[in-house]
Amino acid sequence: MKIGLISSCAPFVDGGGRFIVEWLHQVLQENGYNSEIIYIPSFDDPNCMFEQMTAFRLLSFDNYFDRVITFRPPAHIVKHRHKIVWFIHHARSFYDLWGTMYCPVQPDKYWSSFRANLIAADTNALKEARRLYTNSRVVSERLKKYNRLDSKVLYPPVLHPERFLNKCYGDEIVSICRVEHHKRQHILVEAMAHVKSNVKLRICGVGSKSYVQDIKNTIIKYNLGNKVYFENRWISENEKIDFLSNALAHVYLPFYEDSYGYPTIEAAWSRKATITTDDSGGVSEFVINKINGLVVSNNPRDVAEAFDVMYFNKNLAMEFGNNSYERLSDMGISWKNVLSELLQ
Amino acid sequence: MKVLIVTNMVPFVHGGAEELCFHLVKNIREYGHEAEAIKIPFTYEPAERIIEEMVLCKNICLGNADKVIALKFPAYLIPCENKIFWLVHQYRQAYDLWDANQTNIQKDQRGEQIRSFIKNADNIAFKEAKRIFTVSKVISKRLKYYNNIESISLPSPINDPQNFNGKTQASYIFAGGRVNSGKRQFLLIQALKYAKGVNLIIAGPPDNQEEAEKIYKIVEEENVKDRVKIDLRFLSREEYADYVNRSSAVAYLPFDEDSAGYVTMEAFQAKKPVITTTDSGGVLEIVAHNKTGWVVEPNAEELGVAMCDAIMNPKKTLELGEKGRVILDLLGLNWENTIKRLLA
Repeated sequence: MKIGLISSCAPFVDGGGRFIVEWLHQVLQENGYNSEIIYIPSFDDPNCMFEQMTAFRLLSFDNYFDRVITFRPPAHIVKHRHKIVWFIHHARSFYDLWGTMYCPVQPDKYWSSFRANLIAADTNALKEARRLYTNSRVVSERLKKYNRLDSKVLYPPVLHPERFLNKCYGDEIVSICRVEHHKRQHILVEAMAHVKSNVKLRICGVGSKSYVQDIKNTIIKYNLGNKVYFENRWISENEKIDFLSNALAHVYLPFYEDSYGYPTIEAAWSRKATITTDDSGGVSEFVINKINGLVVSNNPRDVAEAFDVMYFNKNLAMEFGNNSYERLSDMGISWKNVLSELLQ
Repeated sequence: MKVLIVTNMVPFVHGGAEELCFHLVKNIREYGHEAEAIKIPFTYEPAERIIEEMVLCKNICLGNADKVIALKFPAYLIPCENKIFWLVHQYRQAYDLWDANQTNIQKDQRGEQIRSFIKNADNIAFKEAKRIFTVSKVISKRLKYYNNIESISLPSPINDPQNFNGKTQASYIFAGGRVNSGKRQFLLIQALKYAKGVNLIIAGPPDNQEEAEKIYKIVEEENVKDRVKIDLRFLSREEYADYVNRSSAVAYLPFDEDSAGYVTMEAFQAKKPVITTTDSGGVLEIVAHNKTGWVVEPNAEELGVAMCDAIMNPKKTLELGEKGRVILDLLGLNWENTIKRLLA
């Protein structure tokens, strides 16, 4: 079977939107399928959205692929006799962010009608799909709310998860993601000023200059040089495996993220719990408070207390970590499950 | 500098143009810039379809790149500023192949309309370009003849010259590269009956299953199984170089090729002479009869004689190969100069 994996890309930007495509491609190849990735560039510019959708609609794949699987919008607009959609997010400015400060246009008459046409076009294209999957409950709920479509959640696994090991429950809480304001590393650093134990924090990742500087300044301000390690770079896969295998727990508290975040899953494969907050969105689809992690409110004192709880009760860190590992199979987060859904 | 390469692709087809694109990206990165390739799928059957493909490309938004290097039709129609050409392909069936009656565009009024749509779009794109390079003299001449556009011919360098060390160990004729009817590997199999005692190896990726089966069928018909080795798959660079290095001479007979071709240049790098035909186009830019190889009529008998000469007169073969290398070195092709000129 020849399979086309169709997505959009923003040139020069890497991110989660590409991993789901490239990892699936690799797993398909390893399982003897013939697949090819097609990326068409696309931008969040409202002024050329319909032009971009036209380009996607005109693509002709019938001669090349027996089925296509689409990912990032507007790839779902493509036409094919056997289209499967694995929907990872909407054009959010015109959906849940409409009318908020995150939407670049005013909700006036022109843009309201533009929005209605966009939603109609999306809905029609999504209806063409043989099957409609999403990467999280949040995205499925939005499809229901705005497009009135039912979908099935198909959680994206990480590549070759057996690489992730568990060596011990050490002293470090590990954070691995882009360093940006909405990922809220500043709360982590401030929390470290409040901890009572000898717990350490390791922050790994790159991000915007000003926020990175804020984080560095905060570490100096609270004199946390001995307790907070800031790896301000892309760490290697081997370093990631190493940090997680020796970690006490993993922490991830983004502001209203759509999905659980790959590092949460990588931590679970290393049998490590995740600490998160009750306003982190999709993370709590995976993390259940006091079962496989801690879900606290978004202030530094509460986060500090969660860190201390893990440090003073390493058996609890281990129990939560083991539960996280079990949760992977409970939620069907595996390539076996993904292939059986997408190829049925 | 952020550099985007725009080109076209056909799913599951990988040949010289794809190698050129891959190594262009790799080398631009090695000289300290960011680079990424955008590969738009292209369907050109039926001819009416080409119009849609052009509209498709006109609707793609590339976003902000400091420089765009366009390689192929119709991807070079994607609107953007700072565009330069390193032209690999126009749609030849609207130009020289139309004149040669080898075209999928019908010879009537509608066909003329399609051709003029292509030609007009081409003319505008070339006029808007900051600079125009082509990958061969043949392409530059054609561009001048059909579109009255001046350009500079800048052939692509070999990608891994160190692999082609030319250590002779075996005695056979090698035919590498993509396998299809246009590259005419079948003629070499038919030539074996005029080349007693000569062994032939054909190795490379077939464009599709039908092309592969054609080859097997001809081997069967000619009853030359004991003298031909057929290895139809995508070879690693090391495997491919090994076939070249151990051969006596390389045979390459594409019909009216645009450029000298990697196959030819890699043979010369390894000091192997090239057997080609009088209608092979750009290959004749560097292969001359009895100087750097054999240039014969495209028929089995003449090819058989040339193959015999190559195997039976090893001293001559070695000399021709040495001269091929001298010709190649005189061209002075390397990536450093190529990138400098493209990004100047």
